[in-house]
Amino acid sequence: MNIFIDKFFANTTKLIAIAILLIVAWIFTVLFQHSMDSIQAFGFDFITDTKWAPNLEKFGALPAIYGSVVSTFLAMVLAVPLAIGVAIFLSELAPAKLKSPVGVSIELLAAIPSVIYGMWGLFYFVPIIRDIFGGVGISMLTAGIVLSIMILPFMAAVTRDAMNTTPDILKESAYALGGTKWDVIKDIIIPYAKAGIIGSFILALGRAIGETMAVTFVMGNVHKISADLTQPATSIPVTLANEFTEADTDFYYSSLFELSLLLLVISFTIISIAKFYFLRRKRIA
Amino acid sequence: MATIIDINEEKALEVKDFEFTYASADAPSIKKLNMPIAKNSITALIGPSGCGKTTLLRSFNRIHDLYPGNKYEGEILFKDRNILTAQEDLINLRIQIGMIFQKPTAFPMSIYDNVAYGLRLQGIKNKTELNDRVEKALKSAAIWKEVKDRLKHDANGLSGGQQQRLCIARAIAVEPEVLLFDEPTSALDPISTAGIEELIVELKERVSIIIVTHNMQQAARVSDYTGFMYLGELIELGRTEELFVTPKEKLTEEYITGKFG
Repeated sequence: MNIFIDKFFANTTKLIAIAILLIVAWIFTVLFQHSMDSIQAFGFDFITDTKWAPNLEKFGALPAIYGSVVSTFLAMVLAVPLAIGVAIFLSELAPAKLKSPVGVSIELLAAIPSVIYGMWGLFYFVPIIRDIFGGVGISMLTAGIVLSIMILPFMAAVTRDAMNTTPDILKESAYALGGTKWDVIKDIIIPYAKAGIIGSFILALGRAIGETMAVTFVMGNVHKISADLTQPATSIPVTLANEFTEADTDFYYSSLFELSLLLLVISFTIISIAKFYFLRRKRIA
Repeated sequence: MATIIDINEEKALEVKDFEFTYASADAPSIKKLNMPIAKNSITALIGPSGCGKTTLLRSFNRIHDLYPGNKYEGEILFKDRNILTAQEDLINLRIQIGMIFQKPTAFPMSIYDNVAYGLRLQGIKNKTELNDRVEKALKSAAIWKEVKDRLKHDANGLSGGQQQRLCIARAIAVEPEVLLFDEPTSALDPISTAGIEELIVELKERVSIIIVTHNMQQAARVSDYTGFMYLGELIELGRTEELFVTPKEKLTEEYITGKFG
C-alpha cells in the first residue's frame, strides 16, 4: 500500500514537471505558427532592418530589439550597485531598530504593480528628466531609470536574504583573524552568497527585459535607433502593447507575433548565458 | 569557596574579577571570576552546558563585541594591559589571540587563500613570503602532505577533519601568542579528533592554549591545567592530573564522576 502511494506521488509530480516543459514548447509553437507569414516574407532581414512602417508593409525589428536590450542594460547598471549597497546595509550595518522597518518597506516596494511605476514615471519622472537632460522627457533614459527603480527592491530583498544565510560562525572566523567589517563583507559574505545574489540579478534581468506596463508609459514607441538616450525609443513589449489593436493586415499581425517570439528567444538566451556564466561554479553549501 | 591554585610559571593571561553580561540578560553570565592562564601550556575549561565556559573563551578575543549591548566588567590582563578597555585595538588583539571554532569554518575560497587570508589582511603581499608562511603553517598543522598538490582547490572539498586542521593552519599562520579552541572536535569523528588533539599538544611549544571541551577525557588527555566552571563561576582550577584524581571541591568531584552534567 505504502509503495503504491509513493509511486502515485512520484508519478503525479513527474507529470506536473513534464507539463511545464510542454507549456514552454506549446508557447513556442503557437508563436512560431503565427509568425510564419512574417518569417517567410522578411526572413533574416526582419532582425536587421531598422525601418518599421506598417502603412508601407515594412517591418524591421532592430529598433525594438535595440530598445529592449539598451533599456534593460541601463536598468541593470543603475540597479545592481544600489541593490548590493542596500543589501549590505540591511544585513550587516543597519542597527536592529532600522533593519525591520526598512526591510519591510523594501518588500512592499517589490509588490507594487508595474503599471503604477509607469504612471508615476510618466507624471513625476518625465518632467524631471526633461528639465535636467532636455528633450521631451519620454525617452530611453527615463525607461531605464523607471525599470531600475522597479527591479531594485526585489534585487535588494533577495540579495539581503542570500547574505543573511552566511553562518555567523564563518563571519566570526574572519573577524577572529583580525578582519574588519569591510573585509568580512567582501571576502566572506559576498562570495558565500554569490549564487543567491546572481540568481536575484538574473531574475530581475528577466523581469526587466519583458517589462511592459512600466516602460510603455515613458518610452514613446518611436521606432528609431538613436545613440542619444534622451530621445524617445521603443522596445519589443512596448511595441506589442501599443500596436496589436492597430494590426489591420496579416503581415502586421504576423510581424508582431515574430517580435514576441524574438523577445522570448532573447530572454531565454540572456538568462541561459547568465546562468551558465555566473553559476557554473558549484554552489558552496 | 573556589579553589584556584597559584601558577608559578609565566602567565599568558590573567582574569581578574571578571563579569560578563549578555545584552538580553538581566544577570551576569560570568560572576567575579579570577583565573590565571599559564604560558606555553594548555588550559582546559570544562563544565556543564550553560556554565559560561564558551562565554569566557569568547571574551579573550572580544568576539562578543560583534553583537551590540554585551557588557564586560573587571580585567583580563594580556601583556601587562587590560584588554577590556574601550581603547583596545580589537584587530590587533585578534591577530595575537586566535580562535578555532566548534565546526570547521573553511572560507569560500581555495586552500591556499584560506591560510593566506590572515596574512593578507595584515597587508603582506610578497609572494615568496606568503608561500613560505602558508607552507610553514600547513606543515605545523600536519596537513601539508595531504594538500600540497591541490592548494588551488576549493577548501570546501576537504573532509571535516582536514578542514579543521586547515582552520588551525590559518590561525597559526599569523603567529598568535594565544589560541582559543571552542570545542574544536565536537563535529569530528574519533580518528580526526585524535589527530587534532595530537596537534594541539604539539602547538603548545609555540602558543598558549585555552580549550573549551564537553569531553572530560579530552581535557584529561591534552591539558596541563583544568578549570571547572559551574553557573558562571570558576569552581576549581588545578593541574589536570590533580583535578581529575583528587578534586578539592565537592562540585568538581560530582561533575567528574558523572553525578550531574
